[in-house]
Amino acid sequence: MIKKITYLARACSWLAVLTTVGMILLFLGFLGVRGFDTINLSLFFGNTPPWEAITARLPVWHGIWPACVGTVALVLLSSFLAIPLGLASGIYLAHYAAGYWKKWFCLAVDLLAGIPSIVMGLFGFALILFLKKAVAPQANTCLLLSAGCLALLVLPYVILMTQTALEALPDELRLAGLSLGFTPWQNIVHVLLPAAGRGILSGVILAVGRAAEDTAVILLTGVVANSGLPSGILDKYEALPFHIFFLAAEARSDAELAQGFGAALILLMLTAALFMGAYYLKSTFAKTWDQKDLLI
Amino acid sequence: MGPKGLINLEPTVLVESLHVSFAGREVLHNLSAEFHRGRLAVILGRSGSGKTTFLRTLNRLNKCFSRSATRGFVRLKLQGEWSDIYQDAMPLSELRRRVGMVFQTPHLLPASIADNLALPVKLVLGVPRRDIPARVEWALKEAHLWEEVKDRLEAPAHTLSGGQQQRLCLARLLALEPEILLLDEPTASLDFRAALKVEELLLSLKERYTIIAVSHSLSQARRLADEALIFRDGSVVQRLSREDLQAPDTLQALLEEIF
Repeated sequence: MIKKITYLARACSWLAVLTTVGMILLFLGFLGVRGFDTINLSLFFGNTPPWEAITARLPVWHGIWPACVGTVALVLLSSFLAIPLGLASGIYLAHYAAGYWKKWFCLAVDLLAGIPSIVMGLFGFALILFLKKAVAPQANTCLLLSAGCLALLVLPYVILMTQTALEALPDELRLAGLSLGFTPWQNIVHVLLPAAGRGILSGVILAVGRAAEDTAVILLTGVVANSGLPSGILDKYEALPFHIFFLAAEARSDAELAQGFGAALILLMLTAALFMGAYYLKSTFAKTWDQKDLLI
Repeated sequence: MGPKGLINLEPTVLVESLHVSFAGREVLHNLSAEFHRGRLAVILGRSGSGKTTFLRTLNRLNKCFSRSATRGFVRLKLQGEWSDIYQDAMPLSELRRRVGMVFQTPHLLPASIADNLALPVKLVLGVPRRDIPARVEWALKEAHLWEEVKDRLEAPAHTLSGGQQQRLCLARLLALEPEILLLDEPTASLDFRAALKVEELLLSLKERYTIIAVSHSLSQARRLADEALIFRDGSVVQRLSREDLQAPDTLQALLEEIF
């Protein structure tokens, strides 16, 4: 009887894994079949010569190059805002906050995690309206505003993963450093954070992925369908997810729809590249930490 | 060994009317004790009798556990000067460097063998970078570990055997120039042979340091101790000299007391 149950459990878990992998493969296959043929230089640059487009000497009109640049800029900028803040908050919650305050802060983070992205977009939009009326009449929706709202949106992932990873470390690791005379801060920087690196990295990856794919926030805070490369962080911009949404909603021909699938594939690859970058950073970080160069 | 050490040895650790509680529950009651350099003291007692808490009192590590409260006097003679560690403003990191602790299981930093020593030496002592390797080597030799690890200093520390890990922890302490060593059942996780090696090491160190060790093993106490303190319910109930420990009738009484 027990044997049968074991078999059944094993079959079920296999089935679950296979379903997940199957769905991913099916999805990638679908995207590949529909979009792979459209991936060529003209998908990126339209009719503009690539080099002129990359060096921004000529504008690109019928390609996704500006959207790629916009998305990368958006992700980098929002990571730049969210990761340090999230790390610091996670450290605070795991090591310094206690009792009443900790409860409140954790509740606040949970609430933030529960805010739908469209609400975050509305918040950004309302914020810029307020600024326009009250402080700076020239304020407008832009890359910086989008990045700020996205950073708020993904902040809880970084905070929660940092906090969880730090709190999951065994007590003995915490005591090892402290018993040697490390200050709490030295202990966090030199022992605990590196040891929690894997968990923190998963938070960062979740955040980056979310920032790359979100459409609702940027819809209300600065993205446009056709603007070319942004001239700075206070300018409007294009972004891949919005471009895909736009093409899917308003495609006028099969070719344009196919371009949407191509763009979706590119977005996937871009996210994958960002993840790989994060893994690479983590592994070099771990290496320096494992060897003596950490004494800098 | 004769009665050497019993005559007029000046103490280096003086504890008087010590009370320690966690979350309102008192673990140590009105405890008094003294310890001396050159005389290895072993603390025996049942689980839960407050042995580990007592050790942690001496480097203020109880602070790291929630809602601990300490009353009483704990005076240590560090660098020839007495200081009350709960009254005087000695920096915590300075105190913990001078009063080193080894735990039941090896508490390694997840780094290489060399870095386990180098990182504390660098961070806590502020030794300049070029002097670190020499100090690492010195400490590993002190801990009788150098010959075993000199060819793989960059290997992760957790690849060492349990006994070697524990000796690495001791080496790490010694590198920080401590004066008092607190050992919380340092051989509890080791097999007999590895435990003997650690014991040998402790005996070779005891002349130069004040060593206070918690042990679960009576036979270990008989091999190591110059004196033994018996803990029960958070107080010292008995002090035994080396001679007492060897006598068969006290042994019987002890066995009943502890086990």
